[in-house]
Amino acid sequence: MENSIVKLRGYKDGLHLIINPKVSLPEIETAIHELLGEMNQPLAGTSIHIDMRPPIFTSEDLSNLETHLTEKYDLVVSGVNVFDEKNESPILAAPATHSISQSLAADNHPDLEHAQIVHQTIRSGQTTSCLAGSMIVYGDVNPGGEVVAAGDIIVLGTLRGNAHAGAHGRLTSVIIAMELVPLQLQIGTYVNRPPVGQKPRGYPEIARVGAEDIIIVEEFIKF
Amino acid sequence: MGKVIVITSGKGGVGKTTSTANLGTALAMIGKTVVVVDADVGLRNLDVVMGLESRVVYTSMDVIEKRCDLDKALVKDRRVEDLMLLAASQRNRKDDIKPEQMQEVCEKLKEEYDFVLVDSPAGIEQGFRNAAAGADEAIIITTPDVSAIRDADRIIGLLQHQGIDSINLIINRLSPTLVKKGNMISKNDVLDILNIDLLGVVPEDTGVIASTNRGVPLVHNDGSPGAEAYIRIARRMTGQRVPIPEMRDDNFFSNILNWFSRNK
Ligand SMILES: Nc1ncnc2c1ncn2[C@@H]1O[C@H](COP(=O)(O)OP(=O)(O)OP(=O)(O)O)[C@@H](O)[C@H]1O
Ligand SMILES: [Mg+2]
Repeated sequence: MENSIVKLRGYKDGLHLIINPKVSLPEIETAIHELLGEMNQPLAGTSIHIDMRPPIFTSEDLSNLETHLTEKYDLVVSGVNVFDEKNESPILAAPATHSISQSLAADNHPDLEHAQIVHQTIRSGQTTSCLAGSMIVYGDVNPGGEVVAAGDIIVLGTLRGNAHAGAHGRLTSVIIAMELVPLQLQIGTYVNRPPVGQKPRGYPEIARVGAEDIIIVEEFIKF
Repeated sequence: MGKVIVITSGKGGVGKTTSTANLGTALAMIGKTVVVVDADVGLRNLDVVMGLESRVVYTSMDVIEKRCDLDKALVKDRRVEDLMLLAASQRNRKDDIKPEQMQEVCEKLKEEYDFVLVDSPAGIEQGFRNAAAGADEAIIITTPDVSAIRDADRIIGLLQHQGIDSINLIINRLSPTLVKKGNMISKNDVLDILNIDLLGVVPEDTGVIASTNRGVPLVHNDGSPGAEAYIRIARRMTGQRVPIPEMRDDNFFSNILNWFSRNK
């Protein structure tokens, strides 16, 4: 689903509307109209993220766009990500509930500032995510369960399911678990599937993207 | 006022119906008033396992559609006092019943009976939702294999989401010899993953199939390892403190050997 101005992509954390900000807002709105008009499923009520590269919109344009999407298509804008031109990592990942203009003025790594904490076992079929920062789980993540975070993921239990850190592309994100026997790890776009039948090692481990652009896992001692 | 307990698993064929029939019977044997409810609409078989198939006249569908009174639809067990069955309609489909309707039936039943045990169908769809609708508590049945545990985990999540806090586990068909050989997931590994309270462990018991075929729940067959496990679980359900015996391989073997020599 795309034209040269806007694209719609489904990621793990939901739908992303990817916008080319080099054109004017009315042109973007027309392009959105064409894109969403040709969809056969209604998207009303769906939550989407807006992804874009610089030049960044003015905050007024952004909130106009958000209003447009909400009022015309009944979409819920759950976040706005602005990506750095050179590397893929977002320089801004703001939940829409915060005022967008405030977030635009915030520092470059808001990922590190927020953490969401859950006190529960993440069971098969459940997903928990923090798209504006890091995620801390006081409990296990079971096979079929999934944790997604824009920043780091820390599991104070056994990680047996899936974890996706740096979900918006921040490759310095890490995944730490007391016992790390996952089905799948993902950091940014890098994926790691440990061999099946792996036994817990009995000590905490950390997964991060190593020099060869692969996810490496080693004993976690300290940051 | 009694309580409604849904017996469910996610995965099919792990022993929900067997457990419902045996726990219902065992609870009635120790003096509780019990109704077992077949919520597996379209595939009913709780009546068969209980040996009551020929006595079923009305089903929960007849009650819901007001063709007969609830009391009249209950089938009395042939062997034990105070044990009733509410059968499922075989002609209908799972989505012919709404969760609110099941809930209403269960709520009426628990006013009169100590235990209302609901035998849930497999899966996580409408049939499961109906079975769980009126439940105060849940018993999860799993066998010690990866896919049953995965489904149990999913079901636990759904039940917790529904606000059911008391969720206990029965591990069925455990074979300590296989665990010891490393060919079966152990009790502790299952508990480690599912992280809920263990109500009991039922061993693999060839007597189960025979009793299913005869329509006589295993607990009538004193002394078999499966029967003893179900009786202990029923006593735990009434609040008695009954330890869960450690089914270590050697114990288990000598238990079986003892049992065989006793029954020679
Ligand atoms: N402890 C056991 N030892 C040996 N066989 C068993 C045991 N428990 C159950 N079985 C057998 O497993 C089969 C399935 O049992 P049952 O019908 O109780 O499962 P269920 O979970 O109700 O299945 P469904 O999902 O189809 O309703 C039956 O043939 C039964 O005899
Ligand atoms: Mg069954």
